[in-house]
Amino acid sequence: MIKIRQKTVRLLSMLLLGMAMTTIVSQSMAAGHDIRGIKPQGGTTFNLYAFPFNMNLPDGSSMHMWGFGDMNGGANASHPEGNGYSLPQYPAPTLIVDEGDTITINVTNFGVPEPVSMVIAGHKANAVGGTPGLVTRQAGLNETVAYTFTANQPGTYLYHSMGGINPGLHSEMGLVGALIVRPTGFDSAGNRIAYGATTEYEQEFLYLLSEMDPDIHVQMERGHYSHFTNSDRHAAIWFVNGRVFPDLFQGDYNPLFPHQPYQSLSLSHAGDRVLVRAVNTGHDSHPFHFHGENLRFIARDGRLLSSDGGVTPDLGRSDNTLNSAPKQTVDMIWTWTGKDLNWDIYGPVATNGCTDSDHNMLDDATGAACHDNICIDVNPVDGFDDVNHEYCADHGKAIPVSLPGVQDLTLGGWWSGSPFLGDTGDLPPGEGGLNPFGGYFLVWHSHAEKELTTWDIFPGGSLSTMVVVPPYVPIQ
Amino acid sequence: MKIFKIKLLPAALLLALSGGVGTVNAAVFVQCPGDDNGNAIWDEGEVQPAANTKCMHLIAGDSFAVMSDDNPLYIFGYGDQTGTLASEVIKEGILDAEWPGPTVELEQNDEFYLSLTNVGTVIRPDLFDPHTIHFHGFPNASAVFDGVPEVSISINMGATLTYYYNVVEPGTYIYHCHVEATEHMEMGMLANLYVHPLQDVTGCVDALGVPNGNCSVATRKGGTDPGAPTGYTYNDGDGTTAWDVEQPLQVSAFDSEFHDASLFVQPLPFAALKGDYPQINGRGYPDTINPGIMPPPADNWASIVGADGEIHPAGKVTGNPGETLNNDTPTQLLDSNATVTAGQTLLLRLSNVGLDRFYTLTAPGLTMKIVGTGARHMRNAAGDKNLYREVASVNFGGGETHDVLVDTTGVAPGTYFLHATELHQMSNLTQLDGGMMTEIVVQ
Repeated sequence: MIKIRQKTVRLLSMLLLGMAMTTIVSQSMAAGHDIRGIKPQGGTTFNLYAFPFNMNLPDGSSMHMWGFGDMNGGANASHPEGNGYSLPQYPAPTLIVDEGDTITINVTNFGVPEPVSMVIAGHKANAVGGTPGLVTRQAGLNETVAYTFTANQPGTYLYHSMGGINPGLHSEMGLVGALIVRPTGFDSAGNRIAYGATTEYEQEFLYLLSEMDPDIHVQMERGHYSHFTNSDRHAAIWFVNGRVFPDLFQGDYNPLFPHQPYQSLSLSHAGDRVLVRAVNTGHDSHPFHFHGENLRFIARDGRLLSSDGGVTPDLGRSDNTLNSAPKQTVDMIWTWTGKDLNWDIYGPVATNGCTDSDHNMLDDATGAACHDNICIDVNPVDGFDDVNHEYCADHGKAIPVSLPGVQDLTLGGWWSGSPFLGDTGDLPPGEGGLNPFGGYFLVWHSHAEKELTTWDIFPGGSLSTMVVVPPYVPIQ
Repeated sequence: MKIFKIKLLPAALLLALSGGVGTVNAAVFVQCPGDDNGNAIWDEGEVQPAANTKCMHLIAGDSFAVMSDDNPLYIFGYGDQTGTLASEVIKEGILDAEWPGPTVELEQNDEFYLSLTNVGTVIRPDLFDPHTIHFHGFPNASAVFDGVPEVSISINMGATLTYYYNVVEPGTYIYHCHVEATEHMEMGMLANLYVHPLQDVTGCVDALGVPNGNCSVATRKGGTDPGAPTGYTYNDGDGTTAWDVEQPLQVSAFDSEFHDASLFVQPLPFAALKGDYPQINGRGYPDTINPGIMPPPADNWASIVGADGEIHPAGKVTGNPGETLNNDTPTQLLDSNATVTAGQTLLLRLSNVGLDRFYTLTAPGLTMKIVGTGARHMRNAAGDKNLYREVASVNFGGGETHDVLVDTTGVAPGTYFLHATELHQMSNLTQLDGGMMTEIVVQ
C-alpha cells in the first residue's frame, strides 16, 4: 500500500515538475532549453490585444489584471506547447525576433478601460493609428495602433504599456512583457549564442521579476479608476515570470494557471553554461540571489558589457546576487560544475560490475544508473570527464560526514532522500517525493526575504529554483 | 502583561518533552575529525588531522537583544558552543543565541566541519522549528549542505547536523538560516562569514603558483617584509587588494512589530514588514562604537513610544523594568569600530542582510574602492583586467556583499562616519542620531 502511494506521488510530481522523462536520451542529443514565447507572423508582425482578466493565486485570492494576448492564438509559438494559446496573459507574450528584422506590433484594445500603448525599451519605434498619448500613440477601446521598429541589436529587452491618465498603472496591472532579439547566426540546434560568438550557452531561462500591490487591483476590479495613486503603493505579492511559489514550478502552459503560461523552473547539467535573461518589469528594485554558484554578468539593457567593441563581455564581473533595477534587463551566464567539493557527488563507485562505456552514467546493458570507476579527462584536459563532466579529482571520494537519521530531520518536499546527484533514498511515507530523479535543487530567489511571500502568506512569492540534473536527463 | 521567567531546568525539561514527540533518539552529535569527546576542539591527547581541518559547533536557538533606545527584542539566532561537551550543549546553548551570529573566519583550503545543534526556542515553547545553515555564496554548492529546507534537510530540536565545506574561494560571504526564511532571518539568524586568500601565505604568484615578486607574504601569515600588508582580500597576483586593517560590517534592520508579534505569539506581519531598527553588526549607533560586548539584555526601564504612537510599557517582556533577560548572558558581542593609522588601507567587508529594502553606505571624507563583489575578485573572466570601482557610496540589497578598500593616505587624523545615505535610516525607531551609522577613526 505504502509503496503504491509513493509511486503515485512520484508520478504526480514528475508531471508537476514538467520533467516527464519517457525515454532516456544522452545529453548530446538534447538541444537544451529555450525560452518560451511567440515569433512574428511571416517574420514581421505580432498581433496583440489587450483585455482584462482575473488570475488565481495560491493564497486563494483572485487578482484582477490587464494583459496582452496573442491574437494569432499561438500560431507562431516558439514551442509546440504554446500552440493554440490565445488568452490574455501575465506577463505579456515573450516576443522572440531575429537581429535586423523590421517588426510591427499591432496592438488592439478590446477591453482595457484606459488607452493602451507600447513602449519598447532600447528601440526606436514608429507608431501609427489610435490617438496621441503621453509618450507614444495609444489605442482606446476597439482601436489599433501599429508600432514598427527595427531590431538592430541582439539582446534582452522589455516592452510595456504606458499611457492614459495613470501612466504608472499599466505595468502594475500587467501590461508588461519581454522581448528577445536573437543575434545573426543564432541557431537553436547548433549555434546557441546570446550576442556574439563569445556568449555561447547550453540552457536559456527567463527571470522576469515583478511585484504587485493587491489593493490597486481590487480598486480597478471595482471600477474605481480614480482611486489609483502612486503615493501609497505598497507591494505585497512578488512574481517570477508572472507566477509565485509554488505555482512557478509547475510547467509551461499548465492549464491550472490559464493566464500565467510561463513557469520558472530552471534545469542544467553539471558544466552547462546557463544564460539567465533577467528582466525587472516592476516598480521596485529586487536583490535576486542565485544559489549554487556565482554568475558572470555579460550584458545590461541589451548591450554587451564590453570594452572591445562588443567582441567579448570583458567588463562583466562575477556575483551571486543581482541588484535588479526597475525596467532594467541583465544577462548573465551561470555554470555549476560540482568542482572541489572534495567528495564524489555521484556517491560511491558501483561495485556490482555495471558498465558505462559511453559515459552517460547509465549501465550499457540495463539502462540503470551506473557510477562506474572510470573518469576520463583527455580532451580537453580540464579536470572533468570528457563526456559526463564529472570532476575527476573528487571521483570515488566518500562524503566526509554522516547525516542524521530521518527522525532527527525535517525533510523538504524536493529532498530526494540522498545527498548524491541522481540518487534517491528511502524516505518515510508522505515525505519528499517531488524530486524523483535526485536532482540538486538550488533555489534562485529574491534575497529581500519579505518578497518570499504572497499577500502575507509564507512561503510564496519570488522563490524559484534551478535543478542540476544528472547527465542522462534531457533538457528541452 | 505576560511574565517570562526563564529557568534552566524547566526549559531543558520542556525541550526534552517536546523533543520526545517526534524526534526519537535525538542527540547532540558533533562530527569533527580527531575530536573524540564531541566538543569540536582538539584537547590534549586528541590530534588535529591537518592544519587546515577546522571545526565549529553552533547552536540555533533564541534570546533577547536590546536596541539602542533600550527596547528589548526577542530574537532567534546562532550561538557558539565550540569547546562545550556534547552533554552540556543543550543546557549551555539555551537562550544563548547571539545577534548577529558568531563570525566565521576561514582560510582558503580549509576543510570546515560545522555542526549545528537545534536547542529549541524556549521563549516560544509552542514552536518546534527546525533550523539550517545556508553558506551564502558557497561555490558549486550541493543541495545537502546548502541549507534550504524546502529542497533539502533541516535539523530538529535536540539533534545535530554537521555541514562539510571544502573552502576554495576567498571572499566575503554571509551565513544565515533558510528555514521559513522570512521569519527566521527577520528574527536574527544572520551572521558574517569570510575567507582569507592563499596569497596571504604565498605572496603574489603567477598562474602556475610561482612567486612573481609583485607582493610579499602577508604579516598575518608570518610575512616579515617591512612593506607587507596585514593581508590580501583575494588572490590578485598584483597586490592591489592588500589591506592593513579589516572590519566586517553587516547591515540589517529589525522590524520591532514583527519581533513583538513573535514574542507575544501573534500572527507575523509579512506584508507589512518594515525595518525600523537599522543596524550594523547587530547594533544601532551609538552602540555600534561601544567596544567589545554589550551588557546582558535587560527589560526596558522606561516606556518606549513606537513609530505609530503605540506605547510599549516599561518592563515590556517580564513586567519588571530592568529585570535581566537571557539568564544574564550577553548576546550582542560584535562592535563596528575601525581604527587605522593614516596611510594604512582599511578593508570593509560589507554585507547586506536587510529583508525589505536596499541600503546605501557612504563615508564622508574618505574614499572607497570596491575590489570584490559576491565573494569574487572584481576581475574579468579572462583574468586580464581589474574592474575595480572607485566610489563615494555603495548601494546594495539583501544578499549582496562588497569588499571595499579605504586608503587613508593623506587623510587628516580624526573621526569619520560611515552611515546610510538614506538619512532616515540613521535612527533607532523614533530616536534620532542612531541606526545605521558607525565611526572610522584615523590616527
